[in-house]
Amino acid sequence: MPTIALRGISKRFGSQVALRDVSLELGRGERVALVGENGAGKSSLMNVLYGLYAADTGEVRVDGRPARIRTPADALALGIGMVHQHFTLVPTLTVTENVVLGREPTRVGQLDLPRARAEVLATCARFGFALDVDARVDALTVGSQQKVEIVKALHRGVSTLVLDEPTAVLTPQEADELFTVTRRLSDEGLTVVLISHKLKEVLAFATRIAVMRRGEKVAEVRPAETTPESLAALMVGPRGPRPASVKAAPGPVVATLHRVSAGRLREVSCAVRAGEVLGIAGVDGNGQRELAEVLTGMRVPDDGALVVLGQRGALTPGRARALGVRHVPEDRLRHALVTDFSVAENAALGRHRAPPFAAGARIDVAGRLAETQALLDAHDVRPRAPHLRAGALSGGNQQKLVVGRELAGAPKLLVAVQPTRGLDLAAVDAVRGRLLDFRAGGGAVVLVSLDLDEVLALSDRLLVVHDGRVTGEFPREAFDERVIGRRMLGVLDA
Amino acid sequence: MTAFVLALFDSVLDAAPALVFAAVGTTLSERAGVVNVGVEGMMRAGAFAAAASALVLPTPWAVLVGAGVGAAIGALHGWLCIWARSDQVVSGMAINLVMLALGQFLLEAAFSSPSGTPPITQLTPWLGHSPLTWLAVALPFVVHAVVQRTPFGLRLRAVGEKPEAVAAMGVRVAPLRLAAVVASGALAGLGGAHLSTAVLDRFEHHMPAGLGFMAVAAMVFGRWRPLGAALAALFFSVGDALRLSLASSAPGLLEVVPQGVLLAMPYALTLVVLSLQRRGASRAPAALGRPYDPEVR
Amino acid sequence: MLEATPTPPGRLRRAARELARAALPSVAPILTSLLVCFVAVAALRGGVAVAVDAFLAMTWGAIGDVPRLLEGASVAVLLRPWGESATKAALLTLTGLSVAAAFRVGLFNIGAQGQLMVGALAAAVVGAAVELPAALHGPACLLAAALAGGLYALGPALLKLSRGVHEVISTIMLNWVAVALIENWLVPGPLRAQVGGGNSVAGTAQIHETAELPRLVGEVSRLNAGILLAAGAAVVLWLWLARFVGGYEWRAAGLGPEAARAAGIDVRRTVLRAMLTSGALAGLAGAVLVLGTEQRYPATLGAPYGFDGIAMALIGQGHPLGVLATSTLFGGLRAGGTRMQLFGVHKSFPELIQGLALLLVAARLVWTKLADRWLPAREGGP
Repeated sequence: MPTIALRGISKRFGSQVALRDVSLELGRGERVALVGENGAGKSSLMNVLYGLYAADTGEVRVDGRPARIRTPADALALGIGMVHQHFTLVPTLTVTENVVLGREPTRVGQLDLPRARAEVLATCARFGFALDVDARVDALTVGSQQKVEIVKALHRGVSTLVLDEPTAVLTPQEADELFTVTRRLSDEGLTVVLISHKLKEVLAFATRIAVMRRGEKVAEVRPAETTPESLAALMVGPRGPRPASVKAAPGPVVATLHRVSAGRLREVSCAVRAGEVLGIAGVDGNGQRELAEVLTGMRVPDDGALVVLGQRGALTPGRARALGVRHVPEDRLRHALVTDFSVAENAALGRHRAPPFAAGARIDVAGRLAETQALLDAHDVRPRAPHLRAGALSGGNQQKLVVGRELAGAPKLLVAVQPTRGLDLAAVDAVRGRLLDFRAGGGAVVLVSLDLDEVLALSDRLLVVHDGRVTGEFPREAFDERVIGRRMLGVLDA
Repeated sequence: MTAFVLALFDSVLDAAPALVFAAVGTTLSERAGVVNVGVEGMMRAGAFAAAASALVLPTPWAVLVGAGVGAAIGALHGWLCIWARSDQVVSGMAINLVMLALGQFLLEAAFSSPSGTPPITQLTPWLGHSPLTWLAVALPFVVHAVVQRTPFGLRLRAVGEKPEAVAAMGVRVAPLRLAAVVASGALAGLGGAHLSTAVLDRFEHHMPAGLGFMAVAAMVFGRWRPLGAALAALFFSVGDALRLSLASSAPGLLEVVPQGVLLAMPYALTLVVLSLQRRGASRAPAALGRPYDPEVR
Repeated sequence: MLEATPTPPGRLRRAARELARAALPSVAPILTSLLVCFVAVAALRGGVAVAVDAFLAMTWGAIGDVPRLLEGASVAVLLRPWGESATKAALLTLTGLSVAAAFRVGLFNIGAQGQLMVGALAAAVVGAAVELPAALHGPACLLAAALAGGLYALGPALLKLSRGVHEVISTIMLNWVAVALIENWLVPGPLRAQVGGGNSVAGTAQIHETAELPRLVGEVSRLNAGILLAAGAAVVLWLWLARFVGGYEWRAAGLGPEAARAAGIDVRRTVLRAMLTSGALAGLAGAVLVLGTEQRYPATLGAPYGFDGIAMALIGQGHPLGVLATSTLFGGLRAGGTRMQLFGVHKSFPELIQGLALLLVAARLVWTKLADRWLPAREGGP
C-alpha cells in the first residue's frame, strides 16, 4: 500500500487550469520524479500536497486514511516536507533560527537558543550536512542555502521530502553532491519526490517517473524502461520540428568590452559580432546579469572601456535604444512590461515618442492601435486584443509581445536574458525561432541563460562566467558539457 | 540647577509615556510587515474611550477600555490590510480621518461640547507618578525581550522579512500579523488613555495633536527596534520638556531660538538621520507594506 | 480571433458597463457611508423623520435652497450656497489632484498639508507685501504659492531618489516641520500683522484687494474664481495623463518604474516633475484659501486640508475627473453640513461621512469582487 496517495486533484487559477484530475502514489523509500515542461503543473501538484494551494477537487490519503491538508502545518504534521525552487529562508536570521522556526524549543516560555543550536547541529550531523549553524543565511552561498532548506525539512522529522527543481541554481558538481546525499537518505527510508525538467538527472536518480503535460499526468514509467528521447516526447506531446540551426556567418564587431567591471562582473573583455549568437553560461549570480545590464545601458560600469555600436563610454537605456540595442530582460513582468497597461500601451513602450505612436507631444491613439494590431498578427500574440491588460495575457503571449516589440524597427544588437523561462513549448519554439531568424538576418544576439541546454542549443559561441570573470570561451564545435560545467565552477585545469 | 533638572525629569516622566507606548507599539506592527500610520487615530480613539468610560467606570478600568478600543481599531486595520488587501498607508490614513471626525462628532453627540469631555478622576499616582509612567519604563524592555527571545518574536521578525518562509514552516501568516497589529493598536490606545487620564483629566478635541505621527517618527528614528523607538521617544520628550521649561524659566533664550524652530526639531532630526543613511541601509523590514498571498504565481 | 466590431448601441452599452465597473468602487462606498451616517443620525437624534429633515437641510445647503426659490425667494438662495460649496470644492479638488498626481508616478504624497501651508504663506506674503496691478497681482500670488508648494515637495522626492527614504515618512515629517515653523514661529512672530491703533489681529497682514481672487457673481455670493482654477487644473491633468506622451511616461513610471527605465524613460526626472506638480497643486490650494477666503494667513489653518486631499484622491481613484466629481460632492456636503446643526448634528458630520467612505474605499478588494459579480467583464481573459 502506498504511504501517500493523491487522487483526482484539480486546481484552477482564475481561467487557467493548473491541474486536471491528477492522481499519484508515493511508496515508502521511493524516489519519484515528476517531470514536465515549465507550467505543466508539477509544482502546483506538490504545493497542493504541501497545503500551500487548496485543491478545487480531489483528495489526499496518507497511510490509507483521508488527510485534510489545508496548511503547511498539516503537511508537516503528516511528515511531508518541501524544499521550494525559490528558497523560503529568512535572510536576516541565522541558520539555527531558520531551521527551528515554527517549532522552537523553549524554556519557561523563552526561546531556548542553545538547545535549538544543539538540536540543529545534531540534525546536521545525523544526515551528514556540514553547515555553519550560527551564520546568517544571507552570508551563505546558494548551495549552502539549499542545504539549509533540506535540513529544515529533515529537522521536522519528515518521512516524505519534495524537492522542487533543486538543481536549477546549482553547478553540476553541487548537483551531484545533492543527489548523493538524497539517495542515501532514501535508502534509509525517506520518500523523495524530485520535480525537474532535466531528464538526465531524473533518469539517473529516480526509481519511478511521472510525466506531466499541461496540468495532466500523461504517463508513469520506470527509468530502465525509457530513454531521454521518449521521455521528452511524452513531456512535449505532438509538436512541430525545431528550427534548424544554420551555420553562422559572423560579421563585423558590434560591441566590445575591455576589462569592464560592474558589480560582480570583474575585468571582463569580449566582443560581440553581427550575425552570431553569443551565449553566456554560468551559475546564477556570477556576473552575467551585470553583463547584460552594461550592454543595455541599465548599469554604468564601475571600470573599463565599453564600445557599443560605435559609441564609446557609458550608456543610458535611452541612448542604447537609440543606437539599436534591444533588451529582452529576464523578468518580463518587471522590466519589459507594465502589466497594468493595455497591450497597445505596452507595444508602444520604448518607441512611444516617435510616430506612429506619437504625433508631436500627443499620443497618436489610432496609429498606436494599427501598429499594435500588426505586431500581434506578425507574432501570433493571442488573443488579438490591443485593449486587454497586458497582465491578463499568458506568459508565452507576454513574451511573444515583448520579443516582437524589441525586434521591431531593425535593431542591431539584442540582449536576451532567460528568454524562454517559464514558457510553454509552443512559445519556447516561437521565441527561439525569432532569435535565430534575427541572427540569420545579420543581427547580433547576446543570450544569457541559466539553462545550459538552452545556451548549448542556440549559441554559435559560448562564454562561461564564474565569480564575475570569463573562465572559458568555446566555439560551437568545442561544446563539452562536463568541461563547461567545471568552468562554471571556476575550475580551470583538468 | 539641580531643581531645574529634577523638574525636567518629572515632567518627562509625566509626558513621555504616551509617546513611548505608541512608538513601541508601532514597532510591533511594522516588524510584522504591516505599515501603521494609523497610530494617530488609534491614540485618539483610546484617549476618547478612556475619558468617556471613566465617567461611569473606575479609571483603571477606563484605561483598559482605552487600550481595548485601540486594539479593536488595530484589528480593523489588520483586517483591511491582511484580508481586504488594502494599501496599508491608505488604511492607516483612513483610520486617522475617521477618528478625527468621529471624535468631534461623539463629543457633540454625547457631551454637547465642541472642546472636551467633562473632567474625570485621574489615575491615582504611584510613587509620585501615574502607574502608566512606570509601565512605560518597563514596557520597552518587555517588548524587546518578547521580540528577541520568544518563539512569537522570532516568528514576528521572520514574517516581516519573508512571510513565505514562515508559511512554509507551518505557521499561518495572517493570524501572526493580526496579533502584531492588534498589539500595536492596544499600545497606541494605551498611549491615548495616558493623555486623557494622566496628562490631563479629560479628552480634549485636538488630542493627540500629532503625537501619533511623532510616534512613527520615533519608530523610524529607533530603526524599527523597541528599545530604539523608546529611546527616540524619550529623546523627543526630553526635548519638548526642555522647550517648555525654557519658555517659562528663560524666555530670553526663545528670542534667539524661536519656539517653532524647537518644535520642528524632532521631525527635522528624523529627516536628517534618514537622509544621512547610506542608500539601501534602511533597517525597515524587507516585506514591510507587502501583502502576503500564498497562491500568487 | 479578431473581435467583431460591435454595433454602435452595443459599443455604447459596453462603454457604459465599463464606466459602471470603474465607478463602483467609488460610488458604492460613498452610498454605504451616507446610509450608515443616516442611520446614525436617526438613532442618535430621535428618529428617521429628523434624519430626513437633517439630510434635506444638508442637501439644500449644498445645491441651493430650491424649495425657497420655488416659493419665490431671490436667486441669492441658490448663489450663496453655491459660493460656499464651490469654495470648499475648489480646495478639495486641488489637494486631491495634488495627491493624485503623485500617485500616478507611484508616490504617496502625505505632505499635501505641508505644501499647502507653505503655498498659503507664500500667497499671503506676496499678496500683502508686493504692490501690483490686479491683472498681475493675483497670478503672481498663485505662481509664488505653486512654486513654494512645489519646492517643498521636491525634498521628499529627492530624498527618495538619492537615499531611498520612503516618501510617506519624509512627507509626514515635513508636514510637522511646516506646522512648527509657520504656525508657531513665522505667523505669530516675524510675519505677524502690524496693526495700528492698538487692535491686535492674529495672522499675517491682510492682502491687497488687487490680489484677491475675483468674485464671479458680485457681492451676493462668495463664489470666486478658485473653482474655475480647480476644475481647469483637473481637466488639464486629465488630458496630460490620457493624451500626451509626457503623461504616458508618468503613468509608465508609476505602474512599472523598472520597465519604464528599461524603455529609455528618465524615471528620475519624471518622478521629480510629477512631485513638483503635486506640490504646486497643493500650494495653489493654499493660495485659493488665502486669496479667496481668508485674505491673510490666519493664526492657524485649522483643518487638515491635505489629508482631505488624500481622501479625495483615493475615493476618486486617482482619476483627475473622478477627483473633481468627488470633491464637488464632498464640498457640497461640507457646505450643507453647517445647516445640520439646527438638528443637533455637528458640522463635522460631513467629514465623518468622508472618512467612512475612505475607509470603505480602502477595502477595495470587496468592491472589485462585487463589481465582478454584478457587472462581469465581457471582454478579457487569456
